[in-house]
Amino acid sequence: MIQFKDVHASYDEALPILKGVSFTVERGEFVAFVGTNGAGKSTTMRLVNGLLKPDAGEVLIDGMSTTELKTSQLARTVGFLFQNPDRQICCNTVREELLFGFKALGLAGPEADARVDALISEFGFDPDEDPFLMNRGARQLLALASIVVLAPPVVVLDEPTTGLDYRECVKVMDIVRQLHEGGTTVIMVCHDMEVVADYASRCIVMSDGQVVDDGPTFEVLRNSDTLERASLVPPQIVAVSMELACAVPRLASRPVGCANTVEEMAAAIVDERSAQ
Amino acid sequence: MIELNNFTFQYREGVSPVVSDISLTIPDGVFVGITGAAGSGKSTLTYALNGIVPHCYPGDFYGSVVVEGLDTCEVVLTDLSRLVGSVCQDVDSQFVCELVEDEVLYGLENFGVPRDQMERRVAQALADMGITELRDRVISSLSGGQKQKVAIASILAMQPRVLVLDEPTAELDPASSTNVFELLAAYAREHGTTVVVVEQKIALLSQFADLLVIMDEGRIRFADAPAVVLEHADELKRIGVNCPRSTTLMNRLRAAGAYSGPAVRNVQEACEVLKEVIA
Amino acid sequence: MSAFLEYVPGASPLHRMNPVAKLGAAALFAIACFCSSNLVFLAVLLVAAFTLAASCGMVRQTLGLAKAVFAFSLILALVQVLTTPSGAVLVVLPWGYIGTGGLLAALTTVVRLVAAAIPLFLVFYVTKMNDITNAVVKVLHVPYKYAFTFTSTIHFIPVFMNDMAGIMEAQTARGVEFDAGGIVKKVRLMVPLCVPLLVSSVRKTNSAAIAAEVRGFNLRTPTSGYKEYPFTPLDIIALLGTALLVALAITLSMVL
Repeated sequence: MIQFKDVHASYDEALPILKGVSFTVERGEFVAFVGTNGAGKSTTMRLVNGLLKPDAGEVLIDGMSTTELKTSQLARTVGFLFQNPDRQICCNTVREELLFGFKALGLAGPEADARVDALISEFGFDPDEDPFLMNRGARQLLALASIVVLAPPVVVLDEPTTGLDYRECVKVMDIVRQLHEGGTTVIMVCHDMEVVADYASRCIVMSDGQVVDDGPTFEVLRNSDTLERASLVPPQIVAVSMELACAVPRLASRPVGCANTVEEMAAAIVDERSAQ
Repeated sequence: MIELNNFTFQYREGVSPVVSDISLTIPDGVFVGITGAAGSGKSTLTYALNGIVPHCYPGDFYGSVVVEGLDTCEVVLTDLSRLVGSVCQDVDSQFVCELVEDEVLYGLENFGVPRDQMERRVAQALADMGITELRDRVISSLSGGQKQKVAIASILAMQPRVLVLDEPTAELDPASSTNVFELLAAYAREHGTTVVVVEQKIALLSQFADLLVIMDEGRIRFADAPAVVLEHADELKRIGVNCPRSTTLMNRLRAAGAYSGPAVRNVQEACEVLKEVIA
Repeated sequence: MSAFLEYVPGASPLHRMNPVAKLGAAALFAIACFCSSNLVFLAVLLVAAFTLAASCGMVRQTLGLAKAVFAFSLILALVQVLTTPSGAVLVVLPWGYIGTGGLLAALTTVVRLVAAAIPLFLVFYVTKMNDITNAVVKVLHVPYKYAFTFTSTIHFIPVFMNDMAGIMEAQTARGVEFDAGGIVKKVRLMVPLCVPLLVSSVRKTNSAAIAAEVRGFNLRTPTSGYKEYPFTPLDIIALLGTALLVALAITLSMVL
């Protein structure tokens, strides 16, 4: 579905951002990219939808090189949620905003209208509301909805939860999870490790323009070398589990040593106590 | 000391008060963290402290806000600004200069700091934020974390008694967010400065704040030490505030009868307690 | 990489000159360009302008700028070619003719505009905006409020351009064809995007105004600035030199 082959990329030739990135994302995966600011995550996202073309190497979407495609063509395949919804939203009402993508892609028609209406009721939007008077969380949700409505096979999310409160964050991410369950390939950049742990099944760690680790989320987040190389702080329960296993070596092979969620850890601790 | 007495505020174009009946006393030198769901009135509360409300945003102001003995409604904004330094949410629009050095000088020049003190103050503020080496850099070439530190340093140089920050780590990665909080806490401890931070990341607030204020629909729902506030995990969740996972874990164990101590604030505390629970 | 009209740090003589002298000399240089129609004289000024740009390492920025001014002046030149029938007849038009005189006048226009624009824009690349503000306040006693308004407008140009680029990018990603078709199509597509740009600009300028106010903006006086802006011999030479250029331009146009 998405293939990066030894990709080098930059905005200014003197300052390379990506220095040989390779990975493959299969159809239907949910992949999180993590790493510090400046590690090259957002640049990688921009390469996926062709906003940036590689200096060397190749980016293939469905086997087609992005170098040969325009971003506006790729928009049918790749939906992109930007960090700042204000850059995306440009219409006077919620309804127009949701129709905008169809018009831009030349797909406006009765079917588009029906999809928009269905989504409006699903998200509980007021179709006539002015997006610029909505609060930050609602605008983020609208920006996401304007992508969801087009049903692209791939959705790219650049820090979808930044600036949102807990409830808004859960709302946005639950919609993303539904998309994924419906077969959409999801790629996201996210700083919130709890969100990564809760939603992504695979994690690609970047540092200084390179991929330093790639694998199932918890395997990656439990690798202390990876964490150190990319200056990552693991999700809290993983951190508790790792520290306990380190302090009390016999726990390493017990459930406490591999519990990743609050539920697992609570059960493991209760077990451990009753075992004594 | 900061005292808010039955403070209520409604923006002129608003239909209902954004904050209602806020009474809160903040002693000198306390690190205050404010959080709450979107629209709960967090930002407006900080605007009340630095005088942006009512001086820049007009509206109906009830009750009183007194900072270091000055009633914010009765003094001109500039007099208040000498006491209360503010770092905006959008640091990019806060900057008025190209170079880091000039940016830090700007406030000092305006407030008429004597020339022979300026150099020392600039150097000190940059050192306090750990960015001495950025002094001659062009601001637009800096990373998000560096810009945030420059914005804070340019306020610290004015040596405010109270420092107010609105979501200073919203755009930063976890490592730089923690770093900014560490620097702020160290500075506040050393200078006895009162720090008021609005922040979504409750894990950071729980770790660094002395006083944790939880806002809900314009009112203060909790205002206490983090460990005390975090006892109320269920209620917090109901009003849209999620506890750190380590806190949730220990609360869960308490409910299961496996733990009976106070709420924990972070991973370290949870581990300390768990080692004993299991041993 | 620096954005349009954004300060580029350096230590060249141009960087170190007094900001007021720089502005003054650039203005005099532009006046000299407009006082003369002598193509040779203008060509010399154009070369001088590029030499200045080279002296402070701004050749790349200057070339980009020259291209933009060149494109704009071509439009004027075209009008001139079509509407100024003079000199030997080259092409006959229904309303007159294109002559060698018209072509020469058009060429003069292009060279003049490019030569006049370069030093003016160069000033912004080699001078920090707040040095310009502080210097005009200190030296020329312009009220700080006006100086600040002017310089922060310029300060915001790269910010807004960055915003616009971000908005266009976001729209391209939604399928708006900014990456296909010509300039006319692009402009037509851009019109609806003025709304988000306007919203973000208003927000930004508002928070900038408040941020400046709580940092004592109102208290600032001509003596507030920490840095002094004395005139050096180089500044005097630059001002005298450009004044001489103006005199030369006027003399040339009267003599010839």
